[in-house]
Amino acid sequence: MKDMVDELPGLAKVRTRFLEMLVDRQALIAEHALSAWEGETLDDINGNLEAAKAILHQIAGTAGSLGFTDLGVAARACEGEVIAHLEGPDADLAICPGEIIYHMDLFVKQCEETLNTLT
Amino acid sequence: MRILAVDDDLIILELLTQFVQAVGDHELVTAESGSEALDLLRAEAKGTFDCFMLDIQMPNMDGIELTRRIRMMSRYAETPVLMLTAMADKRYIDGAFAAGATDYVTKPFEVAELKARLGLVAGMIEGRRARTRKIFAASAVGAQSGSATIELHEPISIHDVDNVIEYVAMENYVQQLTRSSLFGSSTFAFTMREIEQYHAAMSPFEFYSLISDMAEIISDTLQGHQFLMSYAGSGTFVCITESGWRPDMGRLVDAVNLSLARTELYNNAGERLHPRVSGGDVVRLIWKSGAAVMDALATAHATAEAASAAHGKSQTDYWNMGQIA
Repeated sequence: MKDMVDELPGLAKVRTRFLEMLVDRQALIAEHALSAWEGETLDDINGNLEAAKAILHQIAGTAGSLGFTDLGVAARACEGEVIAHLEGPDADLAICPGEIIYHMDLFVKQCEETLNTLT
Repeated sequence: MRILAVDDDLIILELLTQFVQAVGDHELVTAESGSEALDLLRAEAKGTFDCFMLDIQMPNMDGIELTRRIRMMSRYAETPVLMLTAMADKRYIDGAFAAGATDYVTKPFEVAELKARLGLVAGMIEGRRARTRKIFAASAVGAQSGSATIELHEPISIHDVDNVIEYVAMENYVQQLTRSSLFGSSTFAFTMREIEQYHAAMSPFEFYSLISDMAEIISDTLQGHQFLMSYAGSGTFVCITESGWRPDMGRLVDAVNLSLARTELYNNAGERLHPRVSGGDVVRLIWKSGAAVMDALATAHATAEAASAAHGKSQTDYWNMGQIA
């Protein structure tokens, strides 16, 4: 995928803003993942998964256009996993699949690596 | 063009701002939520936006609901709505088109694709302006001249009928189906018999009303199935359905015609109208791609018109039977 940064010089500013927001976003994803994992009620678990999904969705929607294609693809994969659970047969059970948390953890690490490489 | 972009993600709005600046002669106004967008639209004295770019997934009011509300404003009933979405999920796309979206672009978007889509939108707006100019010009010449302001072959935008979308949106929708590699869909069409006579005898408003009533009757007959429909011009309504449903056209045509027979339709002179339809082939879209999907649409359209013409011919031939030239 061709990213827009090469084509539109003004996007450097947006890219910087994206990275600034990524610091908070990755922390929020980690927080929601942990809360979902430790949650005891259905609302607690699914509510935190929903919140994490919304942030992953935003990252997936923009990362690719700003030159972070891998990060965008990983965010999309994590989002898809959460959607599959929330719309799957276990959605009404108060369980948080370990795989989702594992992949979110990997994603948070990937965010950290991206930030470390560029700052 | 003056464009209103609505997205809850500030990065997308900043991206679009940069993008619109780069591609040229457009002005971009942004809103971070559906309600903010509606406030903006209500605050305007008259419609000043030429195009909308809406995110689908937003908290509180999603882009589909926002599209629906925008379409309820008469001044924006035909304004192009381009959905910007990270969702390739067909449910959302279907919902967006059914609500009145004209097209959609999947995020993360690319400059070339956005530019191309905006180019199409600009072309659409210019086409509409030209048509409006033509209508006003015809009105200025005088109603007595009988100038028809709706051409027979012209696709007409029909509003407020469930699942009926503009023809250009239907074409975009079909192309998106291809891109998303989504199967299980079929296309078929109905053509109003004797459409030429109705068109020739009616005022543009009467003709529009008749087409609109026909759309409603066909839409009601198809209720219970997932479908989108569009008026393609020349009395033909093209439909797309999915979920593996392959309609029995004979029964469907009978159902539509039965409903037409039970509905009292009149022209402005108070004379009762008795429109009927013919149906064409059901063409499956499965395994088709690119131009083949557009060909399928064309086949559905052409076979319905052929069925209507054949019906007309059979009526004429009936009286000619046994005559020797």
